[in-house]
Amino acid sequence: MAIITATKTPDRAAPLGERSVIGWIHKNLFSSWFNAILTLLTGYLVFITVTGVFNWGFTDATFVAENRRACYDNSLTGACWAGVIDWLDNIFYGRYPRDQIWRINVGAVLLVLWMAPLWMGRVKGKVLVGTGVVVFYPFLAGYLFSGGDKGLFMQVMVSGAIVALIANTANMLTGVLWGEFLPDFVLRVLGKSTAPDKTQRNILLALLFVVFTAVFVWQLSWTVEFVSWTKWGGLFLTMVISGIGIASSLPGGILLALGRRSKLTVVRVLCVAFIEVFRSVPLITVLFMATTMFPLFMPEGFVLNKLVQVIIAVILFNACYMAETVRAGLQAIPKGQYEAAHTIGLGYWRTTGLIIMPQALKHMIPNIVGSFIGLLKDTTLVSIIGLFDILGMLRSISKDMPWLGLHKEPLIFGAFLFFVLCFSMSKYSRHLEVKLSAGDQH
Amino acid sequence: MTIELTQAQLASAASSEVIIEIVKMNKWYGSFHVLKDIDLTVHQGERIVVCGPSGSGKSTLIRCINALEEHQEGDIIVDGIKLGKNLKNLDHIRTEVGMVFQNFNLFPHMSILENLTLGPIWTRKMSKADAVETAMTYLERVKIPEQADKYPGQLSGGQQQRVAIARSLCMNPKIMLFDEPTSALDPEMIKEVLDVMVELADTGMTMIVVTHEMGFARTIADQVIFMDEGDIVEQSGPTEFFDNPQHERTKLFLSQIL
Ligand SMILES: Nc1ncnc2c1ncn2[C@@H]1O[C@H](COP(=O)(O)OP(=O)(O)OP(=O)(O)O)[C@@H](O)[C@H]1O
Ligand SMILES: [Mg+2]
Repeated sequence: MAIITATKTPDRAAPLGERSVIGWIHKNLFSSWFNAILTLLTGYLVFITVTGVFNWGFTDATFVAENRRACYDNSLTGACWAGVIDWLDNIFYGRYPRDQIWRINVGAVLLVLWMAPLWMGRVKGKVLVGTGVVVFYPFLAGYLFSGGDKGLFMQVMVSGAIVALIANTANMLTGVLWGEFLPDFVLRVLGKSTAPDKTQRNILLALLFVVFTAVFVWQLSWTVEFVSWTKWGGLFLTMVISGIGIASSLPGGILLALGRRSKLTVVRVLCVAFIEVFRSVPLITVLFMATTMFPLFMPEGFVLNKLVQVIIAVILFNACYMAETVRAGLQAIPKGQYEAAHTIGLGYWRTTGLIIMPQALKHMIPNIVGSFIGLLKDTTLVSIIGLFDILGMLRSISKDMPWLGLHKEPLIFGAFLFFVLCFSMSKYSRHLEVKLSAGDQH
Repeated sequence: MTIELTQAQLASAASSEVIIEIVKMNKWYGSFHVLKDIDLTVHQGERIVVCGPSGSGKSTLIRCINALEEHQEGDIIVDGIKLGKNLKNLDHIRTEVGMVFQNFNLFPHMSILENLTLGPIWTRKMSKADAVETAMTYLERVKIPEQADKYPGQLSGGQQQRVAIARSLCMNPKIMLFDEPTSALDPEMIKEVLDVMVELADTGMTMIVVTHEMGFARTIADQVIFMDEGDIVEQSGPTEFFDNPQHERTKLFLSQIL
């Protein structure tokens, strides 16, 4: 016997407990005696903590004062933010000459301008934008921050960077306005859209050359004042070290991970040895080794400054960790992907670059960003070997005469800054992950 | 452009030029002897169906033909080129020999159109516009042009397999290899894929198909090969093969699957 329902069963609303606030509270917070007590207790603890922190940090706090004594004269139970506020410039820029701070700000703005297209849906050539930032920005920023005589190499690189920045900005405009890739736009305006590939390439190269020459001549007319790296400090220094670390540890890690899977025994053994050595030593040891042992291997009279040594150490250390992250991502790619790539004639580098890496990196975004966050936090270790990064700056507040002994507030402020930076990075990675996986649900 | 091509293929189908020649080929996985003294000659335009029990070496055989696997002894000559360690030759072979896998192996991070244009752009050095045009032609041939902008994950198995076939065809190969193209599909999708393959056979493409779809084998095969434990046990025309198998092992196999 078959059972046949003649009419369609109408939808009904879900039970009360599934949809109302009261229902939710009842189900999740007060489902049993034990649960209810736990809820109340937790609620009480949260309440006293929050009010305590709020009173200390805002209600009773002093924001403007001459020195620590004045703070306490004002309020004994509140925070003394005046010290932190007084030191804000130091916390952000270290001992960078005050009249030159605009250079750091310009550097930061240029970086944002340069990377902005990455977040604009209509802009074409994102891979080029990303590569441009990693390859050229360091030279522009490097000169901007340290200044002095350019020398021929720096002149060429700075000009190159400026040209790249101009092209990047123009590409952003053509992208936003017409959804067009800059070279396509240029060729269209010149009426050469249908010319043979070779002609098109020559036109573009000629244009690039003209712009480069103009920029090169222009940059000969100015220099910025030299600022020794010993003056660099604060959040600025932290960002320089971790920024370079982040930008180069990923490419380095990819190369090491590929080397580790290479069929060439020499390459593989070298990569494995390198990775394992760096991964089994703490960063602080690597930093000490870099600053004390590295000079021993250098030829007589060859002095690398401490900052460069530290940056090299940070890059190597993080590249090795990144290599393991990337390797895990590579292992998750099924063999069929390699085989399919081979059957359409793609060689090793194209298979890796077009098929394998994009998928592996996409899977690894949370881990990669996790490493970046770790890197950002780990750079505070450089304050131990005597660089005045943000942590170093925060701690020197307590040694400054007017603010002698002011430890708590600067460190809490530092923790807050790091929290904002790291939390937004991790939120952003979550967002990226969701966005990128939208295309391919399996 | 496509039509000219098809005629060229038809013309060559009539001639009986040898396109694949395998002579006394042996392959081992470690100490395990997978393929034993394989001899096989395939003419241009010929359709060969390979069947046999699981583990008999069918996949290994066709993977050797497009150099996804290395053989240790004997010769494989594809399109006049002897397979060996020479990487340049391998690249050439891979662009001339298309392959369709059991589980499609589409690139999940690229749209269907990008999947199809990738090979032509990077290895055939086609311009993007031409590659897109070719891709759309083949998508129409496999009857899913409207899916061009979707991602593989958004398509049904049957559609994905048809995309995979189109992806291989975009490379304009001389030979197409199929490794159980319908075994991962639900029954209602098998037919749509087989239909596409029958149409492809009608254009005169040289095809080697590993499959257990015996009805399909009967309609398109010029030769049916039965493999068991690394040997080609029996090879004959489809009527002969199904109606009058010679070897005991073939009879047993056919009685199990028919
Ligand atoms: N990479 C490998 N390493 C070792 N042994 C392998 C490997 N690939 C396949 N084999 C073995 O070789 C034999 C033949 O494998 P093959 O995949 O060619 O069989 P098949 O005929 O295609 O079977 P099926 O119908 O299950 O696909 C099997 O016994 C298998 O276990
Ligand atoms: Mg198989």
